[in-house]
Amino acid sequence: MTEYKIEIIKTFDYGRPVIENGYANQTLCIDISDLGISIKPVTEKMKEVFIGGKGFDLWLLWNAVTSSTKWSDPENAICIASGPMGGTPIYPGSGKSIVTTISPLTGSVIDSNVGGYFGPYLKFSGFDALEVTGKASKDVVIFIDGIDENVQIFEAPGLPDDSYDLSAVLTERFAKGKPRHISVVSTGPGAKNTLIGCLNFTWYDLKRKRVRYKQAGRGGIGSVFADKRIKAIVARWDTVTIQTNNPADKNSLKAVGKKHSREIVELDPKQNEMAKIGTTHLVSIMNDFDLLPVNNFQYGRHPEADNIGQEVYRRIFDAGYDGCWMGCTLACAHGVKDFVPLTGPYKGTKVFVDGPEYETIAGCGSNLGIFDPHAAIEMNFYCDAYGLDTISVGTATAFAMECFETGLINEAHTGGMNLSFGNRLAALEIVHQMARGEGFGQIVGRGVREMKSIFARDFGADPDLMQDIGMEAKGLEFSEYISKESLAQQGGYGLALKGPQHDEAWLIFLDMVHNFMPTFEQKAEALHWFPMFRTWFGLCGLCKLPWNDVMPEDNKETPEPAKVMKHVEWYEEYYSAVTGRQISPDGLIRMSEAVYNFQRIFNLKMGFGQREHDNIPYRAVGPVKTVEYESRHERYDKQLVEEHKVDIAGKSTEEKVAILRKLREGLYEKLKDAVYKRRGWTNNGIPTVETVKRLGIDFPEILELLKTHGVE
Amino acid sequence: MMIRVNGKKHSWYEGMTIKDLLKDFNDSHLYAVVRINDKHVSRPNFEKIIIPDNSEVFLIPMIAGG
Repeated sequence: MTEYKIEIIKTFDYGRPVIENGYANQTLCIDISDLGISIKPVTEKMKEVFIGGKGFDLWLLWNAVTSSTKWSDPENAICIASGPMGGTPIYPGSGKSIVTTISPLTGSVIDSNVGGYFGPYLKFSGFDALEVTGKASKDVVIFIDGIDENVQIFEAPGLPDDSYDLSAVLTERFAKGKPRHISVVSTGPGAKNTLIGCLNFTWYDLKRKRVRYKQAGRGGIGSVFADKRIKAIVARWDTVTIQTNNPADKNSLKAVGKKHSREIVELDPKQNEMAKIGTTHLVSIMNDFDLLPVNNFQYGRHPEADNIGQEVYRRIFDAGYDGCWMGCTLACAHGVKDFVPLTGPYKGTKVFVDGPEYETIAGCGSNLGIFDPHAAIEMNFYCDAYGLDTISVGTATAFAMECFETGLINEAHTGGMNLSFGNRLAALEIVHQMARGEGFGQIVGRGVREMKSIFARDFGADPDLMQDIGMEAKGLEFSEYISKESLAQQGGYGLALKGPQHDEAWLIFLDMVHNFMPTFEQKAEALHWFPMFRTWFGLCGLCKLPWNDVMPEDNKETPEPAKVMKHVEWYEEYYSAVTGRQISPDGLIRMSEAVYNFQRIFNLKMGFGQREHDNIPYRAVGPVKTVEYESRHERYDKQLVEEHKVDIAGKSTEEKVAILRKLREGLYEKLKDAVYKRRGWTNNGIPTVETVKRLGIDFPEILELLKTHGVE
Repeated sequence: MMIRVNGKKHSWYEGMTIKDLLKDFNDSHLYAVVRINDKHVSRPNFEKIIIPDNSEVFLIPMIAGG
């Protein structure tokens, strides 16, 4: 048992408000520099414009920081919120939290959504959102006790460093015999020593009698958390029922919740089997369509891909219920029992691994040229335990490996490590070095953008080539899909507010496979509707998987099957039943538009958010190297000849690469034009005054900011 | 000599591929993935994968993911 001391340094008592139609109507603000704790009201205007979840987070963060705030400044805030529907136990996927902060990778706003019980427990304890600012001089634990109605801050020397042990210890410490009443947010030593740290949010698995983990992975939020010397934030709440969220119309909520839950129970076993194999089914499908990232996004398929696909993980996953929120019938958060790592501090001991999901398998597997399912599990385990984002770890390590294989760096730079693609032990060693804050792993942990600078400055590597193959945009590492063959998905990545994460728009199948959007206008419409609707889930405390990862059987007969309008209508009913506010499908999009445009303008405030910041590396657009072109030469030759009327007779591969590049880069710029126009932005990617007025976000400081950028 | 497609009985013949099966459906362009029993098969393989007799086949309009 871990030996540690725990000393209360601050206690703040409060009276817990009654939840009204999904809202606690107040937020909790903690400044850990001076141990200041205060409560701010949530106004009707705030609910009307920002709805909740990410909207509340962004508003709190906007008011906490200035345009010159850096990620490590005390005034940078970490904001966590669920949303008005968050914490509903009968509607699938209703336990999400959204976390925002100023990112160490991008210098601007990052948001990351995560399962686990924390967001709902925070709300039921009396707070729609939590804002933590300041920096502590010693490691602290924040405890929000909704049952006893107080907030406490502890110093606790001797607690475990890694998130895996730490969360279990703190759950036991605060549970008072009821571990399901506890959710812990924490990170680990990797977050402290890199810029790609994640946060682990826990939920307690009653059947397996253990703490389980979900990750707010993207953008280095865990590194901000560690830099503030927050060891953990713990929430304690009691039993949750449908009444806990005090919905406006309980009967309607029960009716719509039952419809969606039953549909999933009936159809998921016939469709993607998320409840059994999670997102692992995507590996073989992506491979078949040439979309699985292999060797730093050079290639889209590999003959060994099935070794890390669903058929294998179906056998490895521990069978049983895996819902990261109560009552979710999709229940896709699978795990591996009694896994025995071959490396690191847990070498030779049995651990439970939460995951892996598709992104981790692709990022820490195929993209590193590794097709060993157990290596991906071990990478997953240590990234979680150390508090590292598996996507950034995967994409950053893949970049370093390609630089190594290309000769841009060598063993003199890597501390003697052979970083060839496929080297499992080297990939794991990179992760361990990140946790220890030493060696070449520490450089990889700075992310792709900083690596490019370091390799050019200190190792003499070719900056132009690294710009082409370094898979980051806005400073954030790409998530794990090949976007070369889908212009719409290039936009989905490049135009995403926080950087290239697929949660805003995942249009590969619609665009590339189904050809549902052949024109620029159709692509622009998709790059308006989908990001807006996906944003809506983050405002409300919801997971988007029940929306479109299970399809109604009659969906294909509807006019717009991609939008799954039957489910959109259910979400309208759900929103109205909880909040008491009537809404139309257009109204859902309108809600998101306000927050979405606000976030775009927040980027502008931080010095970004313009056309040039939506650029993406050419690897995301087309083949950089001749070997990439040749791996798909039939496709590329056909495109040049048939679509672009280029006479390729007698042209070398180098020449064809150059011609294709010019054409594709031109198309991407045209796509920007079309999307900006559809979104009501200037040609420089800035929302117009008319747009902000239409959306009700024409606050004086926003109009002033637009004016300074020539928009008035 | 029968398979089930989305829970409904469907005729089958020796050597029937997924591509052959989809000819019986007007909306075949919507399907990027077909599941035969426990195995997902993507469109690039529709032509070469032969459906065994007595299979449970599910047509999946793959627009989800991500």
